[in-house]
Amino acid sequence: MSHTPDTTAPAGNGGSFDPRQAAALLDQTTQQARRQFEPAQPWLLVIRGVVVLAVLGAVWLNVRGQHPYQHPTAAVIPFVIAFGVLNLIATLTVRRRATAGVSGRSRLRPAEIAVLTVIWVGVYVVMGVMIGAGVSDRIVYGLYPVTAPLILAGLAWAVITATRADWQSCGTGLAVAITGAVALAAGPAGSWLAAGIGLCLTLLGSAAVIVWQQRRSVVQP
Amino acid sequence: MTTDELDPLIHVPTRLKIVATLAALPDGDTLSFTRLQHMIGLTPGNLIIHLRKLEDADYVSSTKASNGNVSITTVALTSHGRKALDAYTQALRDLLSGL
Repeated sequence: MSHTPDTTAPAGNGGSFDPRQAAALLDQTTQQARRQFEPAQPWLLVIRGVVVLAVLGAVWLNVRGQHPYQHPTAAVIPFVIAFGVLNLIATLTVRRRATAGVSGRSRLRPAEIAVLTVIWVGVYVVMGVMIGAGVSDRIVYGLYPVTAPLILAGLAWAVITATRADWQSCGTGLAVAITGAVALAAGPAGSWLAAGIGLCLTLLGSAAVIVWQQRRSVVQP
Repeated sequence: MTTDELDPLIHVPTRLKIVATLAALPDGDTLSFTRLQHMIGLTPGNLIIHLRKLEDADYVSSTKASNGNVSITTVALTSHGRKALDAYTQALRDLLSGL
């Protein structure tokens, strides 16, 4: 652990803290703190963006030759599930490290966590009901599992973050919901690729915005 | 403009680091004393001395909460402290543009 010299004497009263040094220290400390407090680390967003494109692209390659559309084969489903689980674990681990010791308004409230959980679980419960009701394969194994989670979770996230005036996260939620809507128009096979591209662009865009914000100088406007 | 116009409470390396770190949190959030200490790299005693000075000026507020046998102290920048840092930053800009 590095120890900063304990300079308790104020400037102009025997201290020799140059304004240029102060400006550099202010920028350095702010940028360091922004990086450490950021729950969505840019490097993780970039990895997630590339992997989601690879996984959903692989599903698209797997289903694009099906006429009529049936469902992704057993060969790719484990990759989709593994990506979902690893993504969740990595996101929660990084988020927990960034927000350690932080409490207050920016933390998600239990009711908000419950809403997001109900949406994610509910989407798959409804999918089970649809399978039981004999809804066509192109909807149950194509359009629905790709687009419904994106549209519902994206909109819910946008509303939650808008109530906190967190416009950057709100924009991310809207981008995810728009990706779902575009994927809906791409048909059952094309929806996988459209979702992959949309999510990849959203994640890469978020990473770029976060890096720009973290490096922005406080002193030089 | 001279350095005398910079807020002397903030224009000290350690206190500038404390205030800048707390300002990086979203408004309304608090930080545990332990995490702040790790981020700044100070001994607890040193950090307490600086926090007390900032608290006396109402730039920082601290709260002690007890969770069973463990007591947790959290620290936050007050709105007054945020304004003081903004004014300090502006004064620094003006000073540097004149150099």
